[in-house]
Amino acid sequence: MKNNLRIALISKDCELSSQLSIHIESKGHQVIVFNNESLVLGYIYSDPSDIIIINFQFSETNFHGLISEIKKDCYFGTIPIIGLIDENTHNNIEWKDCPIDDFITLPFKYNELFSRISLAKNRIQRIFDNNPLTKLPGNTSIQKAIENTIGAPMSVCYLDINNFKPYNDTFGFTRGDEVIRMTARIISNAVRQTGDGGFAGHIGGDDFVFIVKNESAEFVCKTIINNFNIIASDLFEEEVKHKGFYIAKDRQGNENKIYLLTLAIAVVPMNTPQINHYGKVAEIAAELKKYAKKFTESKYVINRRKR
Amino acid sequence: MGNKVNEIKRIVQDTKSLPTLPGIVLKISKLAEDDKSSVNEIARLISSDHILSAKVLKLVNSPFYGFSGRVSTISNALILLGVNVIRSLALSSSIFEIMEKSVVGLWEHSFGAAVAANTIAKILQLPDAEEISTAALLHDIGKAIIKIKLEEDYNQLISIIKEKDISMIDAEHEFLGTGHPEIGEWIARTWFLPEKLIEPIACHHNVKKSVIHKTKTAAVHLADILVKASDFGFSGDDIVPRIQTEAWDKLDLNEKILEEIVQETEDRLIEAKNFSLEIQTSGEKQS
Repeated sequence: MKNNLRIALISKDCELSSQLSIHIESKGHQVIVFNNESLVLGYIYSDPSDIIIINFQFSETNFHGLISEIKKDCYFGTIPIIGLIDENTHNNIEWKDCPIDDFITLPFKYNELFSRISLAKNRIQRIFDNNPLTKLPGNTSIQKAIENTIGAPMSVCYLDINNFKPYNDTFGFTRGDEVIRMTARIISNAVRQTGDGGFAGHIGGDDFVFIVKNESAEFVCKTIINNFNIIASDLFEEEVKHKGFYIAKDRQGNENKIYLLTLAIAVVPMNTPQINHYGKVAEIAAELKKYAKKFTESKYVINRRKR
Repeated sequence: MGNKVNEIKRIVQDTKSLPTLPGIVLKISKLAEDDKSSVNEIARLISSDHILSAKVLKLVNSPFYGFSGRVSTISNALILLGVNVIRSLALSSSIFEIMEKSVVGLWEHSFGAAVAANTIAKILQLPDAEEISTAALLHDIGKAIIKIKLEEDYNQLISIIKEKDISMIDAEHEFLGTGHPEIGEWIARTWFLPEKLIEPIACHHNVKKSVIHKTKTAAVHLADILVKASDFGFSGDDIVPRIQTEAWDKLDLNEKILEEIVQETEDRLIEAKNFSLEIQTSGEKQS
């Protein structure tokens, strides 16, 4: 464990807060104390801490809003949250609605708390199959998410970036990584904005998957494409933007016209008999993508076949 | 004098956030109650406030997200951060307890400069109009630092300005040993803002100094002057500087086109004044 963790402590009990702070700081960590939850989110967003400790004592709200807000975001959701909970009450907590990572009962032993902090920090790095670049869930989670939607009125959407490879080769992988991170953010924000769950995952490279309700699919595709075009146009010089392409050498040294970055999205509604297993989804998506990629602009294609 | 400059640098480095006007935060919280509220409306409100805009740009350019200081407009920040993050960020902003005249004046001056810069960019058909307005919005962020973090020095500066009838920037150099463009540059660097915004902030009083983003710097320089000439807001003094030759040349100005810009800016500042009054009164109602 790196020695100087930044720990956000949310507790209405001031006495406990100050005792806890002294102990934690004596271990070389830094503590930021919040007496109520209203300022926490803004703080976490602008200056994320490594661990969040929430004291559930004397709290009617149980911080559900705060916790789910943090856990729903793919970036901030990886911050471990440890709850301090009364010995008698943890039986009554609906853990499904309270997605924290660990708890410790009050009164606690400081040594135990430090071990829990260390464990939570390490566990999150171990169990998450999130892509390290984008923090989006990776292939294990994607496969599970797709399998769970077979037969449901949901659409599984495969997305990739056209002309990404030559962009990466021409401008370098740092700039390429930026494009990948931006795309991840655009997708997860658009999915989240629908307000009814959904899923966004990163297969690897410039390949992404997102899952939304059938009726939201077109709107989400349009939002993603629109936002991507705005962000991507900022990545090129004025002159290139105007022309719509740039010249780059390929590996054989030939000069090629490379068009700007665009998106291809294949949308596969899952409630058709045609789709009966995971592999079939990818197969249909691959066909649709081939068609979507025939255009120079960003395109989404929806699977309309019923058999 | 050197000590003073070092002290200011230290203060800048420790500045994590700055308070903003209650009216803006109140308006955003009303919009936020409505879950389906328009993203554009929130973006518009944030784009009127130099402090909130700086806060949003600071977050989106922070190493945590890994966009390496590339994001320079509020609409792009909104796309990348998402509505939820922007909303919580705005709502958790600290606000001024008292609506001081100088704070409102500086806010108006910044907002007015953004409006003027947008007009300049549109009429001269400059690329990246939104970037230019954002740079203009933030051009006096250094003054906000002086006002909020060095309150006593700010009051001293105001009396020196009155006493000697000199400009804010001259008073700053005399009394602080540095100026608000430098202080603005330091905070912009501390907050990972992109170079495209830093240069106009750092060079808006000396266009010659700008190297890469000269057009943007020249537009912000002109916007600053126009908004002062229109007597909109308060930036510390009432002296309207001359348009520097470098800016005039870089923007390829002539009398006729300048007249058009001035006219259009005046018209749009009337709308801006109405918006400003709305913000000020809604802030009062809250207290």
